[in-house]
Amino acid sequence: MTHAWANQPPLFFIDKLELPQGKHLFIQGPSGCGKSTLLSLLSGVLQVQSGVCEVLGQDMSKLGSVQRDALRGEKIGVIFQQFNLLTYLNVASNALLPTRLFPSRAAAATLEWGSPMNQANSLASALGLNKNLWQQSVHTLSVGQQQRVAAVRALMGAPQLLIADEPTSALDESNQLEFIDLLLKTAERQQASVVMVSHNPRLANRFDQVFHMTSGVTV
Amino acid sequence: MNLWLSLAWHSAWSRRFALVLVTVSVSVSVLILLGVQQLREDAKRSFSNAVSGVDLIVGPRGSATELMLYSVFQIGHPSKNMGIHGLAEIQRMPQVRWAVPIQLGDTYKGYPVMGTTSTLFTEFKSQGKSVEWGQGRAFGNPFEDPEAVTEVVLGAEVAGHFAHKMGDKLILTHGAGGGPEDTDHDDHPLVVVGILKATGAPIDRSVLMNLEGFESMHQGWGMGISPKALKSAAASLPEPASAKELQPVNLSAVWVGLHNRADVFSVKRKIESLSRDPLMAILPGVALDELWQVVKIVENSMVVIGAMVSVSAMLSVAAVLLVAMSGRRKELAILRAMGAAPRALMGFVLIESVMVCFIGIVMGYVISQFLIVFSQDMLRTGYGVVVQPGLPSSQSLFSMGALFVVSVLASLLPAWRAYSLSLIDGLHPPSV
Repeated sequence: MTHAWANQPPLFFIDKLELPQGKHLFIQGPSGCGKSTLLSLLSGVLQVQSGVCEVLGQDMSKLGSVQRDALRGEKIGVIFQQFNLLTYLNVASNALLPTRLFPSRAAAATLEWGSPMNQANSLASALGLNKNLWQQSVHTLSVGQQQRVAAVRALMGAPQLLIADEPTSALDESNQLEFIDLLLKTAERQQASVVMVSHNPRLANRFDQVFHMTSGVTV
Repeated sequence: MNLWLSLAWHSAWSRRFALVLVTVSVSVSVLILLGVQQLREDAKRSFSNAVSGVDLIVGPRGSATELMLYSVFQIGHPSKNMGIHGLAEIQRMPQVRWAVPIQLGDTYKGYPVMGTTSTLFTEFKSQGKSVEWGQGRAFGNPFEDPEAVTEVVLGAEVAGHFAHKMGDKLILTHGAGGGPEDTDHDDHPLVVVGILKATGAPIDRSVLMNLEGFESMHQGWGMGISPKALKSAAASLPEPASAKELQPVNLSAVWVGLHNRADVFSVKRKIESLSRDPLMAILPGVALDELWQVVKIVENSMVVIGAMVSVSAMLSVAAVLLVAMSGRRKELAILRAMGAAPRALMGFVLIESVMVCFIGIVMGYVISQFLIVFSQDMLRTGYGVVVQPGLPSSQSLFSMGALFVVSVLASLLPAWRAYSLSLIDGLHPPSV
């Protein structure tokens, strides 16, 4: 699989990269090598240019943009580096947003936990979030707490894939490890795979697979 | 509530101060546009109704617009007079219910003086309503009471402006005043015997008196020079004359009311074919229409200015929301990451700008109606314009509809920006 931005040489060429369901992948590489672009392709935000990109059994190159958006909404959770939350909603509304956007997520949460709120509570306690934060404004939360709420939101409705783009880079060293451990443990409980990009190689040993990216390199 | 509507509401509420300002700017521009339109319509209507009881205005042959302007609105001066005998001939016509002479020329501290008969008070109608008395009574009949020639009645505005009471003494000015010599009628002090309620008609700005009283002030005047100034003839001031001798030779105009309005054209023809001097009879409505033709350019340019102000307000809404879009990139990227399609985000942004414009337009209309309610009295007494709050006229509805369409088109700009930003940004919210 390759990807190139307009009027530029190909950013990367990936011969083969496979991740079994339920396993976790750590993507490492220098800035500008295309890590984030790869995540955009995996999440269906970008159209695959050439090659095969299969996500959760779907060939992304054969899906239209609307179908890719729907696949992401229903079966994939996404966490950014920071600013994951809508500041005009309270913490609970942010966490429950995926189940309100996509009925299939609400249905999945209800099937397993009885209600989306129950799942949110269970995820929150697993990730070490205090319940009395629910009704608070996003502004009152620390960055670490915000990232945990983002993780709760990404895991609502049991998505099969969690895509995380530098989710820990706004946290300090000890919080980084704690956050990753909790995230992976919670994801495992829901049989979700985690694909994460990070600069910090010390996080790599927590993952089943590690993928080193360098510009234009075949793996 | 629909999820997207609820999100749009929460998002807008978090930026409420900027949005309130934008909404206010839309409503002010709508207010200007609707205000100009309503004033235009109402001004036209109330001018037409200013002399609603008068079917014909008769005067010397000449310009119809001029005759109407000086005889009804007291703008400008008559350049010619008509003979007094015309009045009697008109009054003799069987279709004529009443005919009131109008004599103009003098002023009282800038306000026009009108010589007429007391029939005016019983027959004249403004905005469909008869004249009402604030205080006092009409001036008397000089044939019965010689003192009646010194009696005057004041319009509401004149009385209010100088705080005149019953019994006050007035000195009128010959012509518009300001001549080289003393041109006051200070040898003929007059007494206020009645004050009219405001009618909204130009009569509010008038000092009304007997035709005979008007004439008596001018006894012995020649060519606009007061008898005092005519030193060679200063030997004796004229003796007070009897009412019969005070019949004027000339009149400025005659207002005519008919038994049946349908006769208006036949009476008009009859008056214009009276043999003794060339007269003209005009229909106030027709003459006003001619006048509107003249002021149409001014009128239209006001509407155009209003429309341009409104369109520029709509564009500034688009500009403000477009600029705000950079600050909303994070928000859009978060929603996009959660599976929202770019088209959904476009709608999400569109809802907000359309709502801002819609609320602004409705607010502008509501404020305009409130202002009308509050300024009604001031406009009626001050400018003779009767405005009425109410449901929007078809023209106002059309303007508001057109503005809404323009605003939706302008709103497409920020919405399109949201769409393309969500494509560019992908999964990367700009980190600021």
